[in-house]
Amino acid sequence: MTKLITAFAFFVITLLSAQGQVATSETKASKFEQGMGKAFALWGEGKNTEASDLFERIAAAETTNWLPNYYVALVNTTAAFGTKDKEKINALLSKAQNVLDVEMMKDQNNAELYVLQAMINTAWIVFDPMIYGQKLSGPTIEIYNKALTIDPNNPRAVFSKAEFEIGGAKFWGQDTKPMCAQIDKAIELFATFKPETPFSPKWGLDRALIAQKNCK
Amino acid sequence: MKAITTIIILFCTTFLFSQSTISGKVVDQKGKPISGANVFIEGSYDGATTNESGSFSFTTDAIGNQILVVSFLIYETSKTQIDVANFQAQTVKLKDSMNALDAVVISAGTMESGEKARVSVLKPLDIVTTAGSAGNIIAALQTLPGTQSVGEDGRLFVRGGEANETQTFVDGIRVAQPYGATTNNLPTRGRFSPFLFSGIAFSTGGYSAEYGEALSSVLLLNTEDNPDQNKTDISLMTVGLGLGNTQKWKKSSLSVNASYINLVPYQAAVPQNVDWNSPFQSLSGETVYRYNFNNGILKLYAAFDSSKFDINQENINSAEKMRVNLKNDNFYFNTSYKGNFGTNWQIITGMSYGYSKNKIGLDLNNIANDENAAHLKLKLKKNISNYFKLSFGGDYFSTKFDESFTENLGTAKRNGYNSNIAAAYAEGDILFSKKFAAKIGLRASNNDLLDETTISPRISMAYKVAKNSQFSLAYGDFTQSPNADYIKYSKYHQFESEKASHYILNFQYAKDDQTFRAEAYYKDYSNLVKYDTQEIAYNSIFNNQGSAYVKGMDLFWRDGKSIKNLEYWISYSYIDTERDYKNYPTTVTPSFVADHSLSVVTKYFITDWRSQIGFTNSFSSGRPYNNPNETQFMNGKAKAYNSLSFNWAYLIRQQKILYFSVSNVLGTQNIFGYDYANSPDSSGFYKRKEITPTADRFFFVGFFWTISKDKKDNQLKNL
Repeated sequence: MTKLITAFAFFVITLLSAQGQVATSETKASKFEQGMGKAFALWGEGKNTEASDLFERIAAAETTNWLPNYYVALVNTTAAFGTKDKEKINALLSKAQNVLDVEMMKDQNNAELYVLQAMINTAWIVFDPMIYGQKLSGPTIEIYNKALTIDPNNPRAVFSKAEFEIGGAKFWGQDTKPMCAQIDKAIELFATFKPETPFSPKWGLDRALIAQKNCK
Repeated sequence: MKAITTIIILFCTTFLFSQSTISGKVVDQKGKPISGANVFIEGSYDGATTNESGSFSFTTDAIGNQILVVSFLIYETSKTQIDVANFQAQTVKLKDSMNALDAVVISAGTMESGEKARVSVLKPLDIVTTAGSAGNIIAALQTLPGTQSVGEDGRLFVRGGEANETQTFVDGIRVAQPYGATTNNLPTRGRFSPFLFSGIAFSTGGYSAEYGEALSSVLLLNTEDNPDQNKTDISLMTVGLGLGNTQKWKKSSLSVNASYINLVPYQAAVPQNVDWNSPFQSLSGETVYRYNFNNGILKLYAAFDSSKFDINQENINSAEKMRVNLKNDNFYFNTSYKGNFGTNWQIITGMSYGYSKNKIGLDLNNIANDENAAHLKLKLKKNISNYFKLSFGGDYFSTKFDESFTENLGTAKRNGYNSNIAAAYAEGDILFSKKFAAKIGLRASNNDLLDETTISPRISMAYKVAKNSQFSLAYGDFTQSPNADYIKYSKYHQFESEKASHYILNFQYAKDDQTFRAEAYYKDYSNLVKYDTQEIAYNSIFNNQGSAYVKGMDLFWRDGKSIKNLEYWISYSYIDTERDYKNYPTTVTPSFVADHSLSVVTKYFITDWRSQIGFTNSFSSGRPYNNPNETQFMNGKAKAYNSLSFNWAYLIRQQKILYFSVSNVLGTQNIFGYDYANSPDSSGFYKRKEITPTADRFFFVGFFWTISKDKKDNQLKNL
């Protein structure tokens, strides 16, 4: 489970740097698009702190747009998956949680925010399953359920929940078929998923394909 | 339209003004560079992240006076007004954020558990998974340093203090009767189910002025703020049944736990050292209701416990066994509110009511007593700045105790007391720097029954010597009203409060999953109650001239890192104490104190077996006892005590756990001490009887099943 999730950071980054390049190559890019594009480019180069900082600056200027903070949280959460140092994990996840809280306060009906919250929880669980597994496993499932109530066809919510459950099911020696079926469903949803804006979250397909392979 | 204007303005600015370069360096208070800080012009995207030497440089299109923001997680964000045309090679100093995780916290005396604890000595699950604890909070705490394991009593004895010198608080409100009722040499257990509490702080001395009426120790239990989910818990045990249910709503939640314990079948199957007429039976229940307001949380906690047993105890003073028939009913209710208001104010307030009724038959004599105890509390806290916090508040304890003693055919003799204690306290928390903190407090208390007012100062401080190491010091004066056994005779004698002073020096090292604590302490007791008769009676002559000293050293090491899947801790306590109280003719080490105590607790998780296996070994050197055949008082020493316990938790499924435990696996024949006859036999010899555990071993098998909604979801997800 840990390995799968660590690999996750990598895929998100590759996907997003592509996203960044698309945006920057547009000729008549607005200031927002330029800024976001630059941040994605930094993230793609592995400059997590710089990327997070730039997203944060954009968030400070664009208080009505949830995306910059969403990416601050995503950058820091994915970085946390690749870290073993408790202090660093704490710093990264606290930052992610702080900015996510800001956006959650503004909008409690955004499935993407719930998916991200579930990922922050997962990062804690991966870090110390003995403490956080007990405490956060139940709530994390509830958070995914909430995301799916808001948007039943969100491919990231469908996929991430299934992946989260596979980890537990494997440990308990339970049948993973139902989760695998959900992953197949998520892949279909990814195919038809249309992000609302060029910068809206669209990650997850690559990882879902890997997970699908592991199912077989 | 708006967008177009913005773009036009943007174009114009780039056109008309050349870009300005902003550059400089970010340092901390000591001048050390901070890398990774976010430096930017407020409201623009223009900025940079400082590099390893703390330097930054970026260009901006902004003009004139702007706000330069420098932020980094563990520092206070700085905002300075600058002229963009003229800000090059400047240095920005960031102040430490005092809310940061690595600020020093005073650790003298206190051991914490739970999520909010910086350094967790016990984790919440430890209570259930420590071998030998059998879900008893008190038994798990007895594996920590500073506690004495007194097997025939079961209560917490802390650093040479008697069991009643520890006060228990639930959500900050006192629990007047924290233990189940019992009789001589039959150990009791804590009343509280470990599952409802998310945090435990156990202080073995030098605690805050917020807590009073405790000479040795305070045990702070905090109920969960937010339960995880709706669930039902079922437990089937060799000793009884348990049922729990939690319901969660949008702003509130309710947890109910009930258990029925009956030792009849168990004691029929496993040989006992004692002669039961009717083994221990109890019906108990607890409930917690929580309501979340926008700025606070209200909690209601109630616990009910009814228990009884009937036993024939051997008594050295008579040929016949003495029959003890006990019935206890206990009710505890507590409500607390914790919330924020105004600017940086916090309020914590609540009240508790405890009712305990005992009916004890001792052969043909009957004792009946009942206690009504209430506690009202108000605490206000104000964060004046990140460097200074002030808290103050008051307590009101009211206790009414009545006892009637009816001898065989005689008339009832009644004793009792009515006590009201009003106390006020104030305390300041000062953070001089991230490395140096102090807490200074004062508590004043008035007891109407004892007709006295006491003032108790408390001071503690901590200094961080290295990233993971710190020293703490604590001093405090503590007072407590003598226990009910004495003050029920208040109409015959005017008692005074008992007093103690604590001096503590603590060193703590905590990194990742390793914690080391060493604590040296000195305690000075005065004003202890003494009496001149064999048993405490209305016609005893009492005085408050007893005294005691305790000095000792506690060591603790916990490691969850060195060996994969193994978590272990080792506690060692050394204690040197002499006490002159009760009816002692001289100053001696009391019979509940062992000079050396050592506990080793291990937990090993075997992933393939989905099992956690644990061993706990408790050792203590022999405790003193008084042998009236010898001229010197309290001259005997019992043999050392050792008990090795084992447990095995097997996770059948996420929600089904099979649990097995045995205490004293090796069957060590432990002797706690001896009871001697009150008078010598015909040859002038005082006969004696060993005080032993009620059974050599205790076996426990339990099946725990949690039913929750997410489990259902697992099955239904393929719709």
